[in-house]
Amino acid sequence: MIKWILSGTCFLFLFFGLLSCSDKTPFDAEQSIIRFGMSSAPVTLDPLHATDATSSRINRLIYQRLVEFGADNKPVPGIADWRQLDDQHYRFTLTDKTFHFHHGKILTAHDIKATFDAVLNKATASPHQNILKHIKRIEVVNEQIVDFYLSRPDPLFPSFLAIGILPADLLSTGHSFSQNPVGSGPFEFSHWPFDGQLFLRRIEDKQLFEFLKIKNPTVRVLKLLRGELDLIQNNLPPEHISYLKNQPEIHYLSEKGSNYSYLGFNLEDKETGKVELRKAIAYALDRDKIIQYALGNAAEKANGFFPSSHWAAAELVDYNTDQIRAVALMDKLGYSKDNRLHLTYKTSSDPFRIRIATIIQSQLKDIFIDMDIRSYDWGTFYGDIKAGKFQLYSLTWVGIKTPDVFRNVFHSASLPPEGANRGRLNNKKIDQLIEQAEQELDLTKQAGLYQLLQQEIHQTLPYVSLWYEDNIAFFRDNIQAYQVSNDGNYDGLMSVRQINDAARVNKY
Amino acid sequence: MLNYILSRLASALIVIFGVVFIVFMLIHLVPGDPVEVMLGESATSVDRQVLRHSLGLDLPLWQQFYRFIDGLLHFDLGHSLHSKQPISELIWTRIGPTLELALASLLVAFIIAFPLGILAALKKDKLADAAAMSFSLLGVSIPNFLMGPLLILLFSVALGWFPVSGRSGLNSLVLPALTLGTALAAVLSRMIRASLLEVLNEDYIRTAKAKGLSQTRIIGLHALRNAMLPVITLIGLQIGALLAGAVITEIVFSWPGLGQLTIESIQKRDYPVVQACILLISTTYVVVNTLTDIVYGILDPRIRLES
Repeated sequence: MIKWILSGTCFLFLFFGLLSCSDKTPFDAEQSIIRFGMSSAPVTLDPLHATDATSSRINRLIYQRLVEFGADNKPVPGIADWRQLDDQHYRFTLTDKTFHFHHGKILTAHDIKATFDAVLNKATASPHQNILKHIKRIEVVNEQIVDFYLSRPDPLFPSFLAIGILPADLLSTGHSFSQNPVGSGPFEFSHWPFDGQLFLRRIEDKQLFEFLKIKNPTVRVLKLLRGELDLIQNNLPPEHISYLKNQPEIHYLSEKGSNYSYLGFNLEDKETGKVELRKAIAYALDRDKIIQYALGNAAEKANGFFPSSHWAAAELVDYNTDQIRAVALMDKLGYSKDNRLHLTYKTSSDPFRIRIATIIQSQLKDIFIDMDIRSYDWGTFYGDIKAGKFQLYSLTWVGIKTPDVFRNVFHSASLPPEGANRGRLNNKKIDQLIEQAEQELDLTKQAGLYQLLQQEIHQTLPYVSLWYEDNIAFFRDNIQAYQVSNDGNYDGLMSVRQINDAARVNKY
Repeated sequence: MLNYILSRLASALIVIFGVVFIVFMLIHLVPGDPVEVMLGESATSVDRQVLRHSLGLDLPLWQQFYRFIDGLLHFDLGHSLHSKQPISELIWTRIGPTLELALASLLVAFIIAFPLGILAALKKDKLADAAAMSFSLLGVSIPNFLMGPLLILLFSVALGWFPVSGRSGLNSLVLPALTLGTALAAVLSRMIRASLLEVLNEDYIRTAKAKGLSQTRIIGLHALRNAMLPVITLIGLQIGALLAGAVITEIVFSWPGLGQLTIESIQKRDYPVVQACILLISTTYVVVNTLTDIVYGILDPRIRLES
């Protein structure tokens, strides 16, 4: 028996010995790497199919876009400038700079046409098809110029063209961009051993970057402290944030965010359908305290979809915490200490979201509301929300740039599955304001109409606005020139530099 | 023996088919739609219909199941709904790390459990026994999601011996293997102790002692061999569990194993990947248990003769 055990143990040692010898590094072991820790991995590197935030952020590094967004979220030229020749005709001209795809081909107007034709092709099943549905046809004028003809006027149209441009030659061969991306951006694809570990190379200086998925925030923090990561960004609980802020070798950057967190209501429910109840909840919530204690002061109170810097943001009167008013509203609805209201609050299984839910539960206790918190895995939670199987839920809108979101979220024709009107809002005045704003061709006047709309929404309260979480980054001493953006993208990696390279070679 | 193995294999195939069928039905009954997860909310119902059709999700369930089984018989597991990668490729990249971690954990468990279990049995009701069983109790009581970070704090952050997480060579295997291995060792050492104590009171052990055999020979040759049957059952089950993926440990150590892939695929409702993973996991369980039964036969000739 001892012989059996000993030979088994020897076999296992031999197995691991061979395994360690067979470890292959597809890059030079002395190559310096900047390691970037993330909480989730990209799902696809094909910009025609990417919908999750991580994929979109990585794709921004690999591909270039016709338009970008300025500080006020208005579209600005990306690789092309544009002119509106008439209400339904836009001309995009590539800038003087020559852009090369990573396989060597020069980016031309043909690639732009091929990319957007692919998005509009039903067979592609691109999730971006719907926002571009008003494109009637695309014509290449010459190698540098491409014309877009629309089926109806839309002053927001250029904003919808922020999709990575793919090379026409590879598109025609059915190349798998999702696993082997070829773009013209500042980063080229190196290799992707598994979905939680992706390597990209910055073309300018051949600097290699490793994007590592580390789901557990504690482990992400420890890896940063140990020097196994150089940079981490967002998705950290407040206790980790304050701990890292006190570490001498770790640096901290923060930027006001634009991702909008809110509390959503089912307006077809007999309880949450009452505007007085929604207002009572809005007045009962102490968002300042939640931001201070649960978010580590790394957020800003929100009043609406857009932060004040956005070109279409409205000035709205804050629902400041007012317990007396909240109790009075509940009293009007017939609720008291002896007759409490029971509500169900749905959230995802993310521990941080559950923590926020329990704080809200505790704050609503004071206005005679007993809340039952139910957390689900993302697929079930999202399915329930879309199906209207909820009373209250909370979510965050990420990366919203244009006010066309109001049609998708609040118009009565946008009930799921046709849109994201999850709360089943059916308000004629809001519908009319949305339609009016869409038909206005002057952007300034359109902004005014959207502001009116936001005031109406603020009164109807299908959402209680919570906050815009700040974007935060922590990095080690050896990292310089990193910048955090307001939407949490990874564009700061284009300029980041690593010092003391010799000490930071591939250690493990 | 051959008949026995053949009959075990036949029943194993039925079990695997049953598991795959039940999982297929369950995953399609669970709320949540992969098309919704993939397209988000800006897509129209026409877009959804097109995608659903292109993925074959608009077919009746029995047809989808038939396509899956048909693919399986042609060694084609299909493609991931989300990444469009061939599932065989996806699984292949995860099998190596899973095997590594499972075998390393087993090695750790053996190294700890056998000396501890034997020591506790030989020194029954003495300090060594109490100490060994206290360690065992501790190992069972500390959950992996706590043990993992504790080991990281001590061996990575404080002592700097091993990387915190990730799969980057043999060094990175130590802490996840210790996390899984200590928990397994705790269960195993208790089983070895109990089983040995039972055997040590048998007549043939007394005879061996009377013959003047050394204690090493008695334990190694006579006692341990006979005490191994329940231990092997336990090891068989644990190997199955380890190969199926130790999700918590994989998440804590960012270990790219099969367990993580399964959980992520369930969350994304990536049906074909879930089905393929479950198929692999159930096959592993069945194969390991069949092998356990065969090892039974080798260790205990009575079982072989009966069969």
